[in-house]
Amino acid sequence: MRRAFLGEFEEIVLLVVAACSEEAYGVNIWEEVQKQTGRSITMSAVHATLYRLEEKGYLESSMGGATAERGGRRKRFFTLTALGVRALNDIQEMRNRLWEAIPPGKFQLIGG
Amino acid sequence: MTPRLVEPPRWADWLLERLLSPHLLEDVQGDLHEVFYKQLGEIGLARARWAYSWAVLSYLNPSHSTSKLRSGASAAYSSPSLLNPTMILNYVKIAWRNLLRHKLYSGINIFGLALGMACSLLIGLWVNDERSSNHFLPDLDRLYVVHYNLVREGEILTNLTTPGPLQEAIQKDIPQVESATKIADWPNLLVKPITPKQDQKTGKEQGYYATSGFFDVFRLPALAGNPKAALADPGQIVITRRMAEKYFAGGSALGEQLQLNNDKMYRVGAVIDDLPTASTLQFEWVANFSAFEKEWMKAWGDNPFQTYVRLKPASTAAQTEASMKGIYPRYTDWKSAKEGRIFPILQPLNEVYLYGNYQNGVPVGGRIEYVRIFSIVALFLLLIACINFMNLATARSALRAREIGVRKVIGALRSSLIGQFISESFVTSLLAVGLALSLVWIALPLFNTEFNKQLTLQPTDPALWLIVVGLVLLTGLLSGSYPAVFLSSLQPAKTLKGTLRLGTGPVLFRRALVIVQFTLSTSLIVGMIILGRQMQYLQTKNLGMDRENVVVIPLEGEILKPGRAELVRQRALRLSGVASAATVNHLPTNIQGGSGDLNWPGKDPGQKAEVSADFVGPDFAKMMNIKLLAGRDFQVNRPADSAGYLVNESAAKLMRMTNPIGKEIDFLRGKGPIIGLLQDFHLQSLHQKITPLILAFDDGNASYLLIKLKAGQTSPTLTSLERLIKQANPTYPFTYLFLDEAYGRLYSREQQVTTLINSFGVLAIFISCLGLFGLVAFMAEQRTKEIGIRKVLGASVTSLVTLLSKDFLKLILIAIVIASPIAWYAMNRWLQSFAYRIDLDWWVFALAGLLAVSIALLTISFQSVKAALMNPVKSLRSE
Repeated sequence: MRRAFLGEFEEIVLLVVAACSEEAYGVNIWEEVQKQTGRSITMSAVHATLYRLEEKGYLESSMGGATAERGGRRKRFFTLTALGVRALNDIQEMRNRLWEAIPPGKFQLIGG
Repeated sequence: MTPRLVEPPRWADWLLERLLSPHLLEDVQGDLHEVFYKQLGEIGLARARWAYSWAVLSYLNPSHSTSKLRSGASAAYSSPSLLNPTMILNYVKIAWRNLLRHKLYSGINIFGLALGMACSLLIGLWVNDERSSNHFLPDLDRLYVVHYNLVREGEILTNLTTPGPLQEAIQKDIPQVESATKIADWPNLLVKPITPKQDQKTGKEQGYYATSGFFDVFRLPALAGNPKAALADPGQIVITRRMAEKYFAGGSALGEQLQLNNDKMYRVGAVIDDLPTASTLQFEWVANFSAFEKEWMKAWGDNPFQTYVRLKPASTAAQTEASMKGIYPRYTDWKSAKEGRIFPILQPLNEVYLYGNYQNGVPVGGRIEYVRIFSIVALFLLLIACINFMNLATARSALRAREIGVRKVIGALRSSLIGQFISESFVTSLLAVGLALSLVWIALPLFNTEFNKQLTLQPTDPALWLIVVGLVLLTGLLSGSYPAVFLSSLQPAKTLKGTLRLGTGPVLFRRALVIVQFTLSTSLIVGMIILGRQMQYLQTKNLGMDRENVVVIPLEGEILKPGRAELVRQRALRLSGVASAATVNHLPTNIQGGSGDLNWPGKDPGQKAEVSADFVGPDFAKMMNIKLLAGRDFQVNRPADSAGYLVNESAAKLMRMTNPIGKEIDFLRGKGPIIGLLQDFHLQSLHQKITPLILAFDDGNASYLLIKLKAGQTSPTLTSLERLIKQANPTYPFTYLFLDEAYGRLYSREQQVTTLINSFGVLAIFISCLGLFGLVAFMAEQRTKEIGIRKVLGASVTSLVTLLSKDFLKLILIAIVIASPIAWYAMNRWLQSFAYRIDLDWWVFALAGLLAVSIALLTISFQSVKAALMNPVKSLRSE
């Protein structure tokens, strides 16, 4: 199978969805991404990424949870698919391998 | 829950609803609203609204509107088609940029197209006007004019005018006819209003004596009064608005009195609207027929009237014609009627104007031929202008090959590329049509005077806009089609690699188009030369008489009384500026009358002897400077001669008389001797051959006094003549014209066509040269480096100019070869309509060719010399 390829921002969004303790939808994902990265990000960027991830098959969505301040509009809840979980795992593994490969004492030298 | 008073900005929501795919809208909008209300408490209304708007604007990213997410519902999503508004906007933007970047080529395209369109618009307006000549008449499809056909010796002759009793017979016998009327279309009559005011205006107006059914057949709306009732009353007259305003200014004409021809008094019973200039009915007044009817008008043998009928709604012309076959046998005892060789026919009033010529009993043409010629010329011009566009677009396609490559790589479909090029040509043709409309607006007054029309551009007329839209679509498609199809077929891999070989296809196509252009232009040049020469020939041909300095004075009113005309003539002869004078019945430049009642001793009884005939007074031949081969003129002091005849050579030949003087013939005035033999002179326009002519002595039925003025004394003599005529005929205004003007009017149609071909021919050549100029400019630009290298290697300016011009010259030579036979055929057909015409010499074609070549060469050389003179250092320095 083709190796998962995720951009940095895609990875963050995917991780945020995974880490969300409650049901993840546009607003709380957006707030969480801003909080975690400390960057100012537009809502549209988050939406675009969410849909792209869904298109790639890492996320799936279902509608529900209308509230008054939303004018009665439903939320789109995102959950990870099996493919999404594997993609995150792959990335994690690769990172770990690389971390382990760093020779001991190198950081001290660079950080010096 | 209380209704919310604070809401996100409406426009932002509106925008969002249009930006997003429907399946994404709900949750995205929900999310945005949620954030908005959350921020409302934190940062205040104004800033929350601000933030909301910004957030919405950031959705202007196409991925939101074009996402193909969830294919199950994909039918509801918009897909990128070439009719997508975004794409069209993009096409227009690119087109606009392209136009601006290449100002020379855009200018050539737009200006050329605009000229072509302006010409076709003008001609279109003219054609439309010609075609709708009688459209102002209510129920036009039921109105017909009656002619009759006579079959004689296997030939069908059509008579456009009809006998007096025919109208009554039709009205009585023909069930299909709802109403019928006959009209006497007499020359202008003097109109004198009877008003208490001092300043009485008199004048001459064209009018009809018509039977009371006139307004049943032609239901023209009345401005005042009741025309039908007015015409039924022999004491009343119906006049047009123009006449009412002229003679009864500042009040209602209704009920006012006027006198016709110093004779009968009428009361104005109704006023109708003016007739359009193109109408075949032309009158300013209509009066009851009965007041005017004389005994001879009730005979079947004379044909002085026009008869019109209105059919019942369900009747057809064919049924009516079938019923009318019985009329002549029923009312006459003629042999031709018994054998069914004479019968009335109908012509739709709709067609009368355009199809005036009959041949063998059927309408064969008339003005429609000019309508056709004009339409073809219009199409030519438009085609030439479109070819310019196509040529420049394909020639410059190599420059745009990269752009097309990139577009294709990004994913443009062929259809969207075609859309792009078509919309580029639409942008061009839209700009051109705007320019064309203003050109037409400027040129219309000139055009109207030249062609005697009242055409206008009516911005409220939907037909005009239909034509304009049609023109844009036609030229847009015509000129954009080839570049679109051709350029969109290029392969991106090749164009991007930079090894584009366009092949010979487009080059051949371009050459073919240039050939077509110059074939059309050269044909027009040939046409211009030949028309010009024939017109020159018509004006300068020796007619066998001298029409210079001859004043024509119509005889009317008091002068028509017996003996008065001769008196006036004698007085005129005493004026110092008058060389000679004579009375005539027809103008000698157009003798229309004729008769078959000619007998002479020794005539073969079976021989047909149709001759032209006219009545002339004393001194006719002397006055017109017609050579007398033998004998003498009619003379005042030889009263015995009044029984005699003058004949021309052709008549003498017809009667096989070698020495006709003194021979007795039997003609219009009974038996009499031939007293003079005239050398043949032209009796009518040069369309007709010289026919045998016999002139009888006029005693009292002359209609014109012709006066030959001595050279150089025209204006004082005219003043004394006016005094003289006024004295003899005080109530009539003095009118006159010169004989050569009258002669010129015989060719007014030819004159119009000549003007048209000349002006549009020049335009056609100009537009073709514009295109050529653009092509050469492009070629020179493409070959800058090549020319630089050639110069460095020692090529002379001459050889470089030759290099650049040679190809085009070849094309133009081919065009000349193609154009010559086409032009020969067309012009030969036109010349055939003249009995006397110029020869179609080969040198005319050579001259036309030479002109085409030199004009083209001039155009080409401007650019090619410029390119050849360029400093090679400059062209080679940059790489």
